[in-house]
Amino acid sequence: MNAFGLIVGVATLLIIGLGFPLVIQGERRFGYLWWPYMLGIGILIIGISLFVPVDWLSVVIGALGATFVWGSTELKEQAIRAEVGWFPFNANKIKPPFEAIIQRWKAPHL
Amino acid sequence: MEINPLGLISAAIAFLSIWIGHVSVRKIEAITVALWKPMTILITFGLALEYAALSVSNQSLAAVFGILGVTLLWDAFEIKRQAHRVRKGHAPANPNNTRHAAMLAEPNSRATTLNILNRYPIGRAVDPEEAVRLITSH
Repeated sequence: MNAFGLIVGVATLLIIGLGFPLVIQGERRFGYLWWPYMLGIGILIIGISLFVPVDWLSVVIGALGATFVWGSTELKEQAIRAEVGWFPFNANKIKPPFEAIIQRWKAPHL
Repeated sequence: MEINPLGLISAAIAFLSIWIGHVSVRKIEAITVALWKPMTILITFGLALEYAALSVSNQSLAAVFGILGVTLLWDAFEIKRQAHRVRKGHAPANPNNTRHAAMLAEPNSRATTLNILNRYPIGRAVDPEEAVRLITSH
């Protein structure tokens, strides 16, 4: 019997669970226009996982990266959920660098 | 330095299974009247994948089965949550689904056939009337 898959499966579920507050708090404090940075952080974290020799740690870091990548695609809808009052709306968000350029890009949503 | 592909494999399978699960849950909930049927199928496949994860000796395959299994189990739970979103009007109801039609017909129903999230953010809070206007006025 190999418990590795079951353990990393449950660990991944818990890490994905962190994605909910990550998206909610991230959008509230920073706004959805930070999505390219969140996507970049996710890809960077997945890249780091390639150089982690310990199997379970590589999986955990990879799953964390995937959570950031997924979160970046959820920010736009979360912004609307806050605008319509399903979540608290914060008008004083921290603007991202290169905001004007990012505004011209289509925010991803899957 | 030796490359360990396990993290990348796990990230890919986690991302893809969340994506496909996310889209499928919305679709299945919208067209299904008896939610226990897809939920039972998802739970069965989820548990079978966890059993497969325990049975294989290959670490990559064990991780793929383990992660895919828990996302299917989570999707079973998400089907229930999706039905709750439809009832609250946070996801669009399908009037051709008798379960959704009953929700729409309830007195003081908050269910709607509109997808309130189907627009771009405008950067300010809106009231419920404007939220509807923003998705229907163009």
